[in-house]
Amino acid sequence: MAVGGMFSGLQAQAQTTHPPEADLGKRFDRPAIDTDEGGMWAMMDREETRLRRSPLVIRDADLTKYLQDMVCQLTQTHCPDVRVHVVRTPWFNASMAPNGMMQVWSGLLLRVENEAQLAVVLGHELAHYLERHSIERLRDMKNRAAAAQFIGMFGLAGAIGQLGILAGMFAFSREHETRADRLGMKLLQQAGWSGEEAPKVWGNLLDEVKIVGGEDVGKRSPLFATHPAIEDRRNELSKLITAGGQSKPEPLVKVLEKHRLSWVQDEIRRGQFEESMVLFGRMIKANPQDALALYGRGESHRLRAGKDDTDKALADLQMATAADSAEKKTVPEAWRSLGLVHQQRKDAAPAVQAFEKYLALAPEAADANLIKHYLTELKP
Amino acid sequence: MKKLLLIALTLIVVGCANIVKVEGEQTINSKMTVKLPQAWNKVNLPGGQQPYELWTQDGVFVDQLRIWAGINSGANLVVAPQKNSQGKAPRVPVFSSGMKLDQIASLFEQMYAIDGSAVTLDKVEPASFGAQQGVRVEFSVVVQGSNLQLKGVAWAAEHKGQFYATSYVAPRLSFFPRYLPQVQDIAKSAVIKA
Repeated sequence: MAVGGMFSGLQAQAQTTHPPEADLGKRFDRPAIDTDEGGMWAMMDREETRLRRSPLVIRDADLTKYLQDMVCQLTQTHCPDVRVHVVRTPWFNASMAPNGMMQVWSGLLLRVENEAQLAVVLGHELAHYLERHSIERLRDMKNRAAAAQFIGMFGLAGAIGQLGILAGMFAFSREHETRADRLGMKLLQQAGWSGEEAPKVWGNLLDEVKIVGGEDVGKRSPLFATHPAIEDRRNELSKLITAGGQSKPEPLVKVLEKHRLSWVQDEIRRGQFEESMVLFGRMIKANPQDALALYGRGESHRLRAGKDDTDKALADLQMATAADSAEKKTVPEAWRSLGLVHQQRKDAAPAVQAFEKYLALAPEAADANLIKHYLTELKP
Repeated sequence: MKKLLLIALTLIVVGCANIVKVEGEQTINSKMTVKLPQAWNKVNLPGGQQPYELWTQDGVFVDQLRIWAGINSGANLVVAPQKNSQGKAPRVPVFSSGMKLDQIASLFEQMYAIDGSAVTLDKVEPASFGAQQGVRVEFSVVVQGSNLQLKGVAWAAEHKGQFYATSYVAPRLSFFPRYLPQVQDIAKSAVIKA
């Protein structure tokens, strides 16, 4: 069944009552150091110290404040205890450590379509924190290796990287995930975001993981197998949707604008072109004039270089450069890619034109000498 | 990741990895020779034969010199991760004959970014390798998990439809500048056999 088809009935199931207020209780006291929970907090404090020094942390005060404000809207009184760190990692993920350290990965920020979808993921992670699932989970674990792997989930990016997309939403037990979904929905909706965006997060996730995992990945993958099936999860979430709430795409677009190019390039560099095409295709569907998404998909086609890819790359990159010019923004890389596609097609004149535009926009580009070399080959 | 590294390190310590000293003139895959100004350690790690030779000065967890010679069109430049039950595995960089220099440069970008590490191309320019028109790439890597900041350099070229290249990656502050002159000499000495 197509994902879109599964979503079609969700709105009809939406409730019309106001969401029940979630009782978030008072702020947590720091646990004593000689307890298991205190020890876990101390470990997380050390990880957070490392994270603060990490070159992967994106030090953008406006972006961090924006996310911190979202956390405050979601968690109310617990707001001062949560610290947000934005990390340059191209996967769709966020994690929340028991000491209040929250990581938000650039791959998540690139993928969410609006503020409400971001709030879905943040709300889910915060729900684990508010219900102290991590210490419950740790106490359930029977061996040290499993416990170490679990703790690694909250540390620096990488330990969970191998699990791939949205691994943070699969770190806990089935019961914990279900409870976090429910509380996350309450937090999301009482803060004024639309709950209808929650099932869409799962649909978008599924579209990407199907590329490598196959059509039935939601039922078969070990990552998903021990957790509520995606369809069940989506259906449960849809039952919790209340009327009202906003998706708020604009503030998110504004605060992420200056990072999008580098995150699109990080996505392309992963070399998983089919997954990237799904992502960029979704962005283009939402905004056909999105120059960066057109560049991303065009560049993915160009680099894959399979059957018909050159033609598809040319179409996307011509639209990307046109949209870029129209919006008076500068995505020099789109001109570079367009020149390279024309060069592959042996269309010398438009290749020269695109390369010259690229060098005019980015004279200090890392590959400026290579492009100049191409120009000498192309010019008679 | 740390656990895997520890296991790999342990395997090396107990002798599962094959490490031999290499010096003088060396032939790579019967297709290319290079001359070494000083001795290097050639490493065969257990678990999957890579399509490149792997050399190091201070251990593969510190610095890695990789050399490819005579790689056919359509071949992977690194061993692909294990396939899932649907027979699909994540993509790895693949050489195709006729690639432009920018496409060859992108192969190194993908190679070091495949685990989610942050890769930045610092310089890409035409350069000779093995007496062929090729490309020289300088790049930086921040490794996922360890946050180690690496610097890398690579030279690559195509000859008769086959891929020839070398890349060197090491921590940027001390190891990379220490061994870069040797690596440059090795790259300059490359001779592709007829």
